[in-house]
Amino acid sequence: MSNKVAIIAANGGMFDAYKVFNIATAAAASEKEVQIFFTFEGLNLIHKQAMHHLEMPAGKEHFAEGFVKANIPSIPQLVEMAQELGVKFIACQMTMDVMGLTKEDFVDGIEVGGAVTFLEFAKDAAPTLTF
Amino acid sequence: MIQANHLLDAKGLACPMPIVKTKKAITDIDEGQVLEIQATDKGSKADLAAWASSVGHQYLGTVEEGDVLYHYIRKGSNEPEVEKAFEQTVPLEEIESREGLILDVREAAEYAFGHIKGAKSIPMGELESRLTELDKEQDVYVICRTGKRSDLAAQLLAKNGFTKVYNVLPGMSEWNGNITKEV
Repeated sequence: MSNKVAIIAANGGMFDAYKVFNIATAAAASEKEVQIFFTFEGLNLIHKQAMHHLEMPAGKEHFAEGFVKANIPSIPQLVEMAQELGVKFIACQMTMDVMGLTKEDFVDGIEVGGAVTFLEFAKDAAPTLTF
Repeated sequence: MIQANHLLDAKGLACPMPIVKTKKAITDIDEGQVLEIQATDKGSKADLAAWASSVGHQYLGTVEEGDVLYHYIRKGSNEPEVEKAFEQTVPLEEIESREGLILDVREAAEYAFGHIKGAKSIPMGELESRLTELDKEQDVYVICRTGKRSDLAAQLLAKNGFTKVYNVLPGMSEWNGNITKEV
C-alpha cells in the first residue's frame, strides 16, 4: 500500500481551498506523506495576501454564515496546520513566471518546482487527487 | 463513565480538526493506554474508527450523550510479537464449558465495550495491587485481546502462589460468541 498522497490544487476559490487542505491534513494526520502541487489559480491558496480573501462561488455567498456556525477553521489556519503536520507545498514555476510572482509572495516553507518534480513524487502515490 | 488514561476535548471542532488533535494527543501517551476523545462533530465517529485502523491504534467504541460523542482509542504498539511464556493454556473455544473465573485483564474501556458474560475486570496494570480480590482455590482463566497481556498476568499470578491459572488463547480479538457491554 502506498504511503503517499499527491494532490494537485488548480483552482483558487474558497471551496477549492477547503477540499485541498481538509484532505491534506487528514492524510498527514493518518501518517501519510503528502505533497500538494499548486498551479494556476491554485496558487491563490498559499499566496500571503490572496489566501485571506478567497472567494465563494457566485451565488453561494450565503454559505459564509454556515462556515462560522460550524466553527470551520480559516484557510490560513489550515495552511499552518498542514505545514506543521509535514505536508509539502510545491508552487508551479511556470505559473509563477506567467503571473509575475516570486517565492516571497507565498507562505514560508514552500518549494518551487516544475511538473516533473510533482510527477516524480506522484508516480507511486495512491491516491492522486485533483481539485 | 468509562475509565480512560487521558482526555482530549475536541468539542466544537469541525473536520478534520478532531483527527488532527487526536493524532497530536496520542503521540504523547504510552502504548496500551486509552485516550478519550470528546467531540461534537458527527462525522468523527466514522473518521476516528477509520483513522485508528489505518495508523495501527485500536478503536474501542463510542458513547453518545446528548450532542457529545465520547470516543475511546487505545494506543497501538510497535513492539514485535513476543513469545508467550506461560505454559498452562486453554483454547478460547473451551472457555464456556469450563468452571471457574474468567479474568479479563484488558483496560477498563476495552472491557466496557464488550466482554464475555461473567468475566471479572482487573486491568493488567492494577492486577498486582488487587490480588486479594481473587481466590487461589478457584480456576482462573486469564484473557486479554491477543494473549500477550494475559500471558504476563498469568505469570504474575503464578508467582504469587496461584496454581490453577490458565492463559486463554488467542483472546477477545477472535471471540465470536455473545458479549456483554457496559455502555
